[in-house]
Amino acid sequence: MTKLSFAVAVAAFALAGAVHAQAPNDAQIAHIVVTANQVDIDAGKLASTKSTSKEVQAFGKQMVADHTGVNQQATALVTKLKVTPQDNPTSQSLASGGKENLAKLNSLSGAAFDKAYVDHEVEYHQAVLDALDKTLIPNAKNEELKALMVKVRPAFVSHLDHAKHLQSTLGK
Amino acid sequence: MIAGLRLLAGVAAAACAATALAASHTVTIEGFAFKPQTLEVKAGDTIEWVNRDILPHTATASANAFDSKTIRPGGTWTWTAGAPGQYAYECALHPNMKGVVQVK
Repeated sequence: MTKLSFAVAVAAFALAGAVHAQAPNDAQIAHIVVTANQVDIDAGKLASTKSTSKEVQAFGKQMVADHTGVNQQATALVTKLKVTPQDNPTSQSLASGGKENLAKLNSLSGAAFDKAYVDHEVEYHQAVLDALDKTLIPNAKNEELKALMVKVRPAFVSHLDHAKHLQSTLGK
Repeated sequence: MIAGLRLLAGVAAAACAATALAASHTVTIEGFAFKPQTLEVKAGDTIEWVNRDILPHTATASANAFDSKTIRPGGTWTWTAGAPGQYAYECALHPNMKGVVQVK
């Protein structure tokens, strides 16, 4: 197992682990959502400048745009609901997994960078979708928070498909 | 009222038959998909894309047949169908969102 996929596995485990530990409350769910988006924004920013592939750059830019859009809405909602996002082990694990990914990506260039970035995007979006379906959506108490995540879910599906498509074309 | 509607329908049908009255159609963008994915229209009909998603999208046909540019959440964009043919389009931001307009 490479260091990168290990980091993804840890992040995925952290997301899935929340199911088995204790159900996150709405303030924690909000924090997880914002952190998950921020992690992908940071990776997208790096890819949009560092990748040598136009397609990968465009994908990275789109990740920045979409996840920024989602976070603006999430932030507007928690402000309206007067919920203060609460840090928690799942968020911390996501953030540290994101940092490890950036460190790994910073050490790579060219085709190796593209492959590592896109492979991670595939695994990351799958992990976040699993977390939405198994943990975050089922445990959300506030209907508006739940509705926002339901509405956001297709974006993650679309990103996953887009990343898988890129994955299948890289190196060809 | 019903007789009136019938009369109206009759007039509309007559108008269609006579001058091919332009119809309007709606494509809803929701859940990162175009609904309906395939739409059949007649030349001169108008198509309105309505973005019900929480993020911007576009409806962009290949070979620049049409391009909505960014349609913001809650926004709309209208295109009047031109020459008959099959127009494949996608969201330029999310290229796995695909649709087709068939102009008869």
